[in-house]
Amino acid sequence: MTAVPAPAGSFPAARRFGAVLPLLRGVLALAAVLAAVELIVIALGIRPYVLPRPSAVFEAILRTPAAYRDAIIRTGLETLYGFAAGALFGIGIGIAFSRLRFLRETVFPIFIVSQTIPVIAFGALVVMWFGNTILAKSVIVFYLTFFPVTVNTLLGMRAVDQKQVQLLKSFGASEGEILRKLRFPTALPHIFVALRISSALGLAGAVVGEWFGDTTGLGVLLLQGMYAENMVAIWASVFCSALLGVALFSAIGFAERRIVFWGGSDA
Amino acid sequence: MMTRPQTDFTAAEAAMTDTAEPILDLRTLSKTFGEVKALNGVDLKVQPGEFVTVVGPSGCGKSTLFNIVSGLEEPDSGSVLRFEGRSVMARDLLGKVSFMPQRDLLLAWRNVIDNAILPLEIEGANRAEARREAERMLPEFGLAGFAKQYPHELSGGMRQRVALMRTFMFKRDLMLLDEPFGALDALTRAMMQRWLLDVWSEHRRTVLFITHDVDEAIFLGDRVLVMTARPGAIKLERKVDLPRPRGADLVTSPEFIALKRDLLDAIEEESMKTFGPNAH
Ligand SMILES: Nc1ncnc2c1ncn2[C@@H]1O[C@H](COP(=O)(O)OP(=O)(O)O)[C@@H](O)[C@H]1O
Ligand SMILES: [Mg+2]
Repeated sequence: MTAVPAPAGSFPAARRFGAVLPLLRGVLALAAVLAAVELIVIALGIRPYVLPRPSAVFEAILRTPAAYRDAIIRTGLETLYGFAAGALFGIGIGIAFSRLRFLRETVFPIFIVSQTIPVIAFGALVVMWFGNTILAKSVIVFYLTFFPVTVNTLLGMRAVDQKQVQLLKSFGASEGEILRKLRFPTALPHIFVALRISSALGLAGAVVGEWFGDTTGLGVLLLQGMYAENMVAIWASVFCSALLGVALFSAIGFAERRIVFWGGSDA
Repeated sequence: MMTRPQTDFTAAEAAMTDTAEPILDLRTLSKTFGEVKALNGVDLKVQPGEFVTVVGPSGCGKSTLFNIVSGLEEPDSGSVLRFEGRSVMARDLLGKVSFMPQRDLLLAWRNVIDNAILPLEIEGANRAEARREAERMLPEFGLAGFAKQYPHELSGGMRQRVALMRTFMFKRDLMLLDEPFGALDALTRAMMQRWLLDVWSEHRRTVLFITHDVDEAIFLGDRVLVMTARPGAIKLERKVDLPRPRGADLVTSPEFIALKRDLLDAIEEESMKTFGPNAH
């Protein structure tokens, strides 16, 4: 009972390092690209109006760090609220669809139709309803995130091995137990694929949502940069958006490696 | 099964044996899938504590037979299915028979212990207690020290042992094992066979064991059944009067070889039907 196979001892530390490694690699790659751009801009004498030097962009951010920090927090919260709600709703309704054929056949088509409404049109509607609030942007994010999660949850719940279902039945398991102990865990890798796609979509939705009117946020900064024809400010906002996107994506990837540790999918 | 004193085997005794309540009693059991007749009139009695092996050409309906006895499929009407002396529907047997399917079907997100206690969890047993019991059983199944490993970290033979342990933890009088060693190499398989007999003699369950390997069928069984090609029925039934405990050298004994020849003849005849000109 106490005899644990030898390599297991060093395992947790190695795994933790393994999780940090991709992040480290990403940061290094980014730094290399930025340095290269800097050199090219200087070497070719590209004018700031076309492409500013990355160092100029960083300077701009460091001149007014509070503005960018507030923008990141604001847009981050909008995305987070909408994404969390969309993910939970998508998983819940996906499970319900997998169990209740009636619901699937009546409600699912409505979902599909809802997704054909362009996000711009939808955004205009939402801002009319909810005003310039965090809620309005979160609703847009929700609208963009819940659908992929629903579809993949349904897909995952059905990807279960019928032989495993039969095995659990032979143990006397009820449908509910089969759902909890077999179908949902089987669906998790599929759900995470959808979460990764949704996080990128959701962030874009939050930024675009701010264009319908707001006073803080990365979308607002982008718009202001555009009106002022300030290339450096635009690039600074783009950089901050990318930072937020990468953080979100990494957080989901981290959760995925912990929760779906058995490597259900590596897509 | 040894509760009555052994006397001379007479007609009266035979009649008594019939009434001595088999744990499983199948009569004219048939199963049709659409156009395909998988089983056609299987008659089979299994006594408590008996180890019965079933051999037959592939596709003859062996797994179908197990699916019925484990409650997953209903047989055609006209089939009689009796369990522990009562006539039952197949679905009444869900949760009553411990069934090990052909593949291990371990859950990837559960470690060895948690895979093994899955049936107990479904029964509503206390999880901590079930885990302790499983921990105690690990050495017996050659899994000492592997409690916390996940299926993807195990070899094929070990995964199969976890599946067997899961089957044993689901304490039912009747165990159905569907080609449990089919995917293992010859050496591992021979080891597992001897080990299974040890475990069986400890736990004394009734076992119905499917294999496509005649040596395995004789080595393990009290009785070997040969099935016909599809649609499956019992073609031949032979008692295996070889002493237990059985050792590796048994397979070279004259009795073993004679029995093997008879069984192989019967199986060959059926296999020919599958490959013959009139095969479906
Ligand atoms: N659910 C099913 N639907 C249709 N045909 C089936 C089904 N299960 C088994 N069969 C058919 O019944 C026959 C017997 O199958 P099976 O019991 O798996 O054979 P064995 O285990 O002896 O190899 C095969 O021809 C198979 O195709
Ligand atoms: Mg089979």
